[in-house]
Order: sequence, then structure tokens, then C-alpha cells
Amino acid sequence: MISILNVLLGLGVALFGFVLQTSVGGINRKVVARLQKRRGPKWYQEFLDIFKLLSKRAISHGWVFDFGVIMALGGIIATAMFMPVTNNIIAFEGYDNFFIFVYLIAVGMLGMAMSASGSGNPLASIGVMRALTTMLAYEIPFMLIVLTIIKLSGTSSVSGIAAFQQMSNHNWFAIALPLGFIVSVLSLMGMLGKKPFETYIAPAEIASGPMVEYGGKQLGMLFIMHEITIFIEVSLFVHLFLGGAENIAIFLVKYFLVYTVVNLISNVNGRFKIDQVVTFFYKWPLFLAVVQVIIAVYLGWVIL
Amino acid sequence: MKSTKFSPMTNEQIDRKWWEIGDFFRRNSLWMLMYCTGCCAIELPPAMTSAYDMERLGMGPMATPRQADVLLVTGYLSLKTLRRLIYSYEQMSEPKYIVGFGSCTINGGIYHDSHAVINQLDQYIPVDVYVAGCMPNTEAVMNGFIDLMELIKSKKADGWKRYEKNNAWYKKNQLDALGSVEVKDEFHQ
Amino acid sequence: MANLELIILIVLVLGVFAFLGGKLNKIIGTAFTILGSGFEFVSIAYYGFNSALDSTIEFIPYLSFMPTALGVFFGIILTFVFFMVSFFNPYFIDKYKYPAVYSMLYLFSLAGVIGVFFTDNFMTLFFFFELVVWTSLFLIPMGRSRKAASIYYGFSTFGSFALLFAILVMWGANGGSFDIETGLTALNGSETILVFMLMMVAGFAKLGAFPLHIWLPKVLTKSPDPVTAVFSGGLEKLGAFVSVMALLKLSPVGINIGVLDMQLTHYVIAFLGALTIVFGTLMAIRQDDAKKLLAYSSMSNGGYILVALALMSTTSVSGALYHVLAHALASTAAFLAIGAVARQTGTTKMSELGGMIHKMPVTYLVYLIAIISMAGIPPMGGFISKWLIFQAVIDKGLIFISMAAFFGSIGSFLYVFRPLAALFLGQELPEFKKTIKEAPLLMMIPLLVLSALNIFTGIYPTDILRLINKVLAELGIAQLTIDTWTITGNNGDLFPALIAGMFGIGVGVAFVIFIVLKKSKKVGLMDTYTAGNFIYTEELLHYSVDFYAPLERLYAKHTDIMKNFYKKLANKVKEFGAFVKYFFFTNKPEVTVIWIMIVIAFLLWGDVL
Repeated sequence: MISILNVLLGLGVALFGFVLQTSVGGINRKVVARLQKRRGPKWYQEFLDIFKLLSKRAISHGWVFDFGVIMALGGIIATAMFMPVTNNIIAFEGYDNFFIFVYLIAVGMLGMAMSASGSGNPLASIGVMRALTTMLAYEIPFMLIVLTIIKLSGTSSVSGIAAFQQMSNHNWFAIALPLGFIVSVLSLMGMLGKKPFETYIAPAEIASGPMVEYGGKQLGMLFIMHEITIFIEVSLFVHLFLGGAENIAIFLVKYFLVYTVVNLISNVNGRFKIDQVVTFFYKWPLFLAVVQVIIAVYLGWVIL
Repeated sequence: MKSTKFSPMTNEQIDRKWWEIGDFFRRNSLWMLMYCTGCCAIELPPAMTSAYDMERLGMGPMATPRQADVLLVTGYLSLKTLRRLIYSYEQMSEPKYIVGFGSCTINGGIYHDSHAVINQLDQYIPVDVYVAGCMPNTEAVMNGFIDLMELIKSKKADGWKRYEKNNAWYKKNQLDALGSVEVKDEFHQ
Repeated sequence: MANLELIILIVLVLGVFAFLGGKLNKIIGTAFTILGSGFEFVSIAYYGFNSALDSTIEFIPYLSFMPTALGVFFGIILTFVFFMVSFFNPYFIDKYKYPAVYSMLYLFSLAGVIGVFFTDNFMTLFFFFELVVWTSLFLIPMGRSRKAASIYYGFSTFGSFALLFAILVMWGANGGSFDIETGLTALNGSETILVFMLMMVAGFAKLGAFPLHIWLPKVLTKSPDPVTAVFSGGLEKLGAFVSVMALLKLSPVGINIGVLDMQLTHYVIAFLGALTIVFGTLMAIRQDDAKKLLAYSSMSNGGYILVALALMSTTSVSGALYHVLAHALASTAAFLAIGAVARQTGTTKMSELGGMIHKMPVTYLVYLIAIISMAGIPPMGGFISKWLIFQAVIDKGLIFISMAAFFGSIGSFLYVFRPLAALFLGQELPEFKKTIKEAPLLMMIPLLVLSALNIFTGIYPTDILRLINKVLAELGIAQLTIDTWTITGNNGDLFPALIAGMFGIGVGVAFVIFIVLKKSKKVGLMDTYTAGNFIYTEELLHYSVDFYAPLERLYAKHTDIMKNFYKKLANKVKEFGAFVKYFFFTNKPEVTVIWIMIVIAFLLWGDVL
């Protein structure tokens, strides 16, 4: 049964996710800087940024502006609490259903979108519109691949899927479903808002989209939310495709590799227009995803 | 037993302590709003890219005044842009700092006798750091940023407090120069 | 024990009283609608939950009733929707041409709905079905749109005749008996397929599913706001009821698709349901009228119900039934919230509204909770049903149908967010700054109750699922495994209360972070980032027209396919009519006489033959 310890462990996972992603994000800034022949910031620069924002005096556009931020951070913390980190570190054993991550994350997104629209800035609404449109684009291929994974492993529990891949005669789904892996990397880039798909941030075009009116503590909280969101998405990827983690060191290595690789890919790309994002995802990734489902589910050609 | 070493702090002291901690974060993560009015703006790209790499100081460009900490005024300011500058400055969240670039912001520079350009930026909004030169070297620009960090550390970068304290004086100067800060005409309705 | 016929009789009598009272004073008539529907809901829910409904004593001759678990389930939901909406009647009655008639018809259609759910005789079912159609037909033009009513009548009649035909086929097969239970089992072979198709046509027409969906957005947009809510939350679900009968009770055995392990008939229905989801979603994204947007969302949610019923597994059917409930609650709440806004402002066009949250915060929260449920996001009721449906869809491994289901579910984030952003949030437009007030207290009651239930169904679904389990047992489907707190699906468990609790804890943590930090400075909505420009007009800073323009552009050319099809069909019918008129009813009497003689000769010849 669920005890207070589980809840504390869940909160610990959320905090761990925040610290981990903020550090990895900082290190990645350094990696990118080296790529561009720069020295780059300190590895803990992202912490400095967030605490600075929390220390500033912000402005508020009314109650929904604040309420949305609280709802956003709350929803994301709640989602992170369900996230398994390794095989043993999991707050709510058996209830880490995949759909919880997809839909509970949406509460956070909705809160942020609500708050952004509540600021009364048209650029924020445009940003939200683009974010939702992007979501419509990348989720469908990704969900089809996840359907295949759930169908093959017979469970929709994220830790269960990881355990399925760790069995001695099973491969990681990254190898078992090669087409699906390609599709899901692309979808992951869409989820993280990385370069070709960062249309909804677009600082030079719509002044950082949903974030246009935030400053100070609200922006700081949204940064925290953003870091935890990335943690959720990347570790979901690690568990679904890279066989989860037996211990924390393996998790850290896999997490760091996934995030860094995606970040490096994104740094050599330009930015799509929003309709290009939609047509891109509905062309090849969707086609590949359908092909993958057919050959994996109906024909049973899986490299296990 | 009451410890003699740690005498209880008053509320003011606690606030001060918090403020010092905040200052540590603030000076190590300065986000800029670049108001590229004049030619000095050309010094910013080398400062940002691999030649000088301002990101190693924790600085970075931001999209809107709400998010930014430092307002960079790069060069001369015509009366039209001064309005927008003041509007943007007032939208920034506190604490906020201003760095003025080039001799134009100090005394008008080569535009000192123009009817459409203001001469002293400090008359209208409080400037924390000037970077002199026409135009300043990139090293000078970087030095200016480090100076700003030192000023924040020693609590001397208090332009935003001055603006609040002497608001009437600043407003009067603004009105004298501009007539009214906000424009209302058919283009803005 | 409570007698069903008495319950129906009482509501009919109250309907007459409502008419008479309404003649005296409009408000008295509407008070009768609240009283009547409230009485119906309380009696059906109370006796239904305790399985104490019966019809041993005949009050109405020739009509026979038999309470079933399915009927009780649907009956509770629909009477509840009628009851909740009836609170809105007093505030909208002034706008109707015939207020007394409105009150009467409102209760009569409620009686029809109850009759449909509880009868055990096909003829009675058809009678009440038609009662619903005819009463609701006259409720629609109270909003002064005759065209919507005629379109509704056209599609409904199509469905009704299909149903009548099916009933008569079953009557023939069942040896002249109209009994429902034996009638459905007496069929065999191709007759089953025929009846199945006919009943599905009726179900599609009532549910507003693709391709018989044209009436739904028209009616839901043009009819008065309370009637819209009744249609979306209530009357549409009659189609789900008929579909349950056809898909689960009749369930013809035809060609089996081996690779999917599914009947072809059911796959076709599921596929049409998937098309309904996609079509409804894409159309809802385009709409500017908030009511029309929600109407298309009802259509898309109807598609979910069809898909889930067609899959015929434990999780899918319980998901479908739960979706009937969750969507009824959510869409009624959403429509009533929009209705409240419409009453205060006089419009539902999103391009004309903005910033209503500052004057109507409670309505905003109600709408927010409703759309969270509608989009299937925890911790609201919609999530439970979508979760169950997804479990079933994934378990079956149907690619295109699951694609449509995922598309509809993500797409619903898009369209439900639009009224939130454009209508409630954004800049506060000057014309609404002074005059608008929060909705009156009596209107608040249903809004708050519905919101509470939206949350409750998402946190503690066990009791409702037990009721659904009874329905499943009646339909001969294996029961859903439920614990006090958890639901077991095909490939995982769900603990709704845990999710809600963790969400609460997360929000608590976020709130603590928010509150310990420095207090923020309040600024006005117009003090916003404009790249240094001075803008004083709210409309310029309000993004509400063509919200999803970049997405719409991708499919804008293909939106009118079905409408054009029906237009062409109507033209063909008209042409045929003109053709007939040209030959038979010309103003030359001799031609008419010749034709009459030919017809008579033909008839006589037939007789001789």
C-alpha cells in the first residue's frame, strides 16, 4: 500500500530529476560551447540562472497568471513522482503507467499555456498555439511506436517495459525496433523542443513564445518545470528504448548520452516553420511508424 | 545555554544576508536585453562568440525586458527611441541595471549638437556602468561587464533604486525632452 | 419499490402542469421543469442504484417496461443532465417565442428518454424514440432557426425509419412479437446483418457520427443554450444506447478478419468511429463559434464511444460506458459555461469575446475542469474512460483506429484550449469591462455540481464501475477487475486517487515555493511586451481570430467534402421532384389525365396478372 515513504521517495525523484537535468543541461552548454570553439559557462550555470530568477521581484498579470504557474509546476512534479529511476528506485511500484506520463504531463502544459494566455500578450498565445500544434505532430508517431512496445511486452508499466528488455534473451527496443527508434528520436527532439522543432520558443521571431511575459519567480518556476519535464521525457526514452537501468550509474550514463546526442543533433539544425513541423512528422516518421507497427505486430519480425 | 558566538540577527540583517546571497546569483547570471540603437552594437557579436565568449561569465541574450537583468544601450539615442527605451526599462523586473555604450550615451559623442538626439543618458534613466570609446573596444565592453559585476558585489549598482527615489526628477527630464513619454496618435491606436 | 410507469406518468402530468403554469407565468413553467426533472433523477437514481425499479402494475395500457442495468445506467445519466440543465431554463425562457410550450416539451422529451431506456418492447421503444425526436424537434427552433430543425428532422427520420424497418424485420423473425430480448436473438444469417446495419444507421444518426453528422453542429449551434447542453450531454447518448443494442446484444457473426481477430462488421463500425473522431477533431479546430466547436467535440467523443463499443472487450465496453458518463458531465458543464457567457454577453463567437475570466472567474473554473475532463487529462473523469479505451485499442493492436484515437486525444487539447485562450483569457475587451457580471446564483448550482462530479469521477470511479460491471454481466461480457481504489486493465493498473493525490501534493509544493518567494508587483494586462511600441487598443493585443491558422491551412481545402455530398444529394432529390412535377402536375390537364389513366391501366393489368 502507499505510505508516506513512497510519497517522500516520489518527491525525492522529482528533486533528483531537477538536480540531474539542471547539471546535465549545464554540462551540455559547455559541450556546445566547445563545439563552437568557446569556453562556455560553469557547469552549474543553470542553477545560478534559476536561483537568480527566484530572487528577483517579478510582475504578475492577475490571479490566473500565478495560478497557472503553480498548476504547471505542480503537475510536472506529480508526473516526475511516478517516474522510475532504476529497477529499485521507484516510488509507486506498479502504477507507473505509460499513459500517466503522457496525460499528467499535459496538466502541467495546460497550466503553463493557461498562464501564458492569461498574461494578455498575443505572442504568448501564438507560442502556445505552436506548442500544441507541434504536440499534435510528434505525438502520433511516438504513440504508435509505444503501442508496439506495449503490445510486445504485454505491459504498459514503464518499469515493466524496462524489465522486459533486461531479460536475458531480449534486446533493447532500440535494437528490436530500429525504425521505431529513429522515429522516437525525432519525436523526442520535438518533445524537448530542440532545434528543428523549437518553433514555439523562437526567441527571434515571437520573443520566446509562451515565456514572453515572465520574469522573476514565475520564470524561475517555469524553468524548474522545464528541467523536470526534460527529465521525464528523457528518462521515459531511456526506459522505453534503452532497457532502463539496473543501477543509478547506468541510468546516469544513458541519460547523459541521450540528452547530449539529441542536443548535438539539434545544434547543427535550423528552425522549421510550424506547418513544416506538422508536414514533416506526418510524412516520414508517421510512415516509418506505421511500417514498424505492421512488421512488429502483425508479421512478428522483431530482432529479439 | 545560549550560545555567545551566534547572536540572533535582526530582521534587517537577515534581509541583508539574503540580499547578498541574491547578489551572488545575480552577478553570475546577467541576462541582457540588447537595445541596439547605434553603431556600438557591432561590438556585441565578437563579445558573444568564440573570440571573447561572454557566456563564460554567465551572460546571455534574452528576448524580452521581463526576463532580462541588464539593459544595454548601444550608442546614440534619438528622441523617438528614448521613449521606447524608457518604456522597456520600466517593464524590466527589479533589480535591473543599465550599461551605456560609447561616448554618445555619456555626452552625445559626435551627435552632441543634433536636435534629434539626447546627449546625456543619465538625465533620463539611471546608468550603472558606462563603457567609453567611439566605439569601445570589445575588451572594453567585456571590462564594462566585469565592472558591473564588481559594482553589484559592492552594492553600488543601485540605479533602479535611484530611479525609484528620484523618480520625479527623471520624469521631469523625460518630459522636458520628449513632451510626453507615451505617444498617442493614429499610428498607435 | 417504485413503479416505472408511474414515474413516466408523473413527468408527463408535470409537463402538462408546466404548460398550464407557463401560461400564467413563464417562471412557474420553468420551476415545473426543475421540479419534474429533479424528481425523475432522484427517483431513478435512488431506486435504480438499489435495483428497486419495477413495472408490475400497469398504469399505462399496452406499454410494457422492464428495468435493466443498462437502462438504469443510461437513465441516471440522462435524467441527471436534464435536471442540471433545467436550472438554466428560468434565465433563458424570456428569449423563447412559446415559453409555456418549451417547459412542456422539455419534460415530455425527458419522459421519452426514460421510456426508451426502460422498455422491453420494440414498439414502445419506437414510440418513445419518436416522442424524443418530435419534442426535441420543436425545442430547437426556440432559438429561431428553422433550418437547423429541418436538417435535424431529416437525419432523425432517416434513423427512425431504419430503426422501424429493423424492428419490423425482427417482428417477422420473432413470430409477431415485439419483445426486445427474444427479438434480438431470434434473427439468423443475413437478417442479422441487415438488422445490425439498420440499427447502426439509427445509432449513427442519433449519435451524430460520420457520415450522418451534418445535423449535430447545426443543431447544437442554433438551438437555445440549455437545449444545446441537453442535446450534447443527453439526447445524443440515445445513439450510444441503440449502438450498444446492435453491437453487443445483436452482434452478428459475419466474416472474421483473421489478422485482427475481429468481425468485419464491427471493424467497419470501429473504422467509421475512427473517422468520426478525426473528422470531428479537425473540424472543431477550425471553428470560431465556441458552441460549434464544442458540438464538433461531441461528435468526436461520440466516435470514441463507437470505437470502444465495437471492440467488444471488457475494458473497451466499460471504457465506452464510462465515457458516456464522463462526456455527458464534461460536455454539459462546458456547454452550460459557454451558455452562461452567452447569456451575459449575447454572443458565443470567440473572435468577439475576450478576458471573461476577470468578470466570470467561477464560470472559467467550471469550464477549465470540464475541458480537462473532455481532453482526458487526469485527475478528471475523462482520463479513466480514455485510459480504458486505450488499453483495449492497444491490446487489439489496431493501427489505424489507435492512430485516430491518439490523434483525437491530442487534438482535443488543441480545440478545448481555444475557447479558454480566446474567450476567457487574453485581453479584457473594453465592451465587457463594465457591464458584465458573474452568472446568477441559480445558474451556479449546476455548474458547481457538475464540476464536483467531473473531479469525483476522476478520483473515485469504483462505484460507477461497479454499476458498469452489472451492465457488463447483463451483456454477457467478462467483468472488469476493480478494487476499492484501483482498476486493472489489459496491461496495467490504474490508481486514480493516487494520481489526484500526487497532483495535489505537487501543487502544494509549487504553492509553497511560490508563496515563500518575493511578492510580485501587480501590473495591468495592457502593460505587456510590445517590443517598445505604445498600443492602447485591446483588440490589437488579443489573439483570437484564426487561432490555429497554420494548421488549418494544411487541410482547409478538404473540409466540405461531406457537406457537398449532402448538398448534391439534396439537389438530386430536388431534381427528381421537379421531374415528377413536370410529368404529373403540369398545368395542362390532359397530360395529368393521361397519366392517371396509364396508372389505372397499369394497376388493373397487375391485378389481371
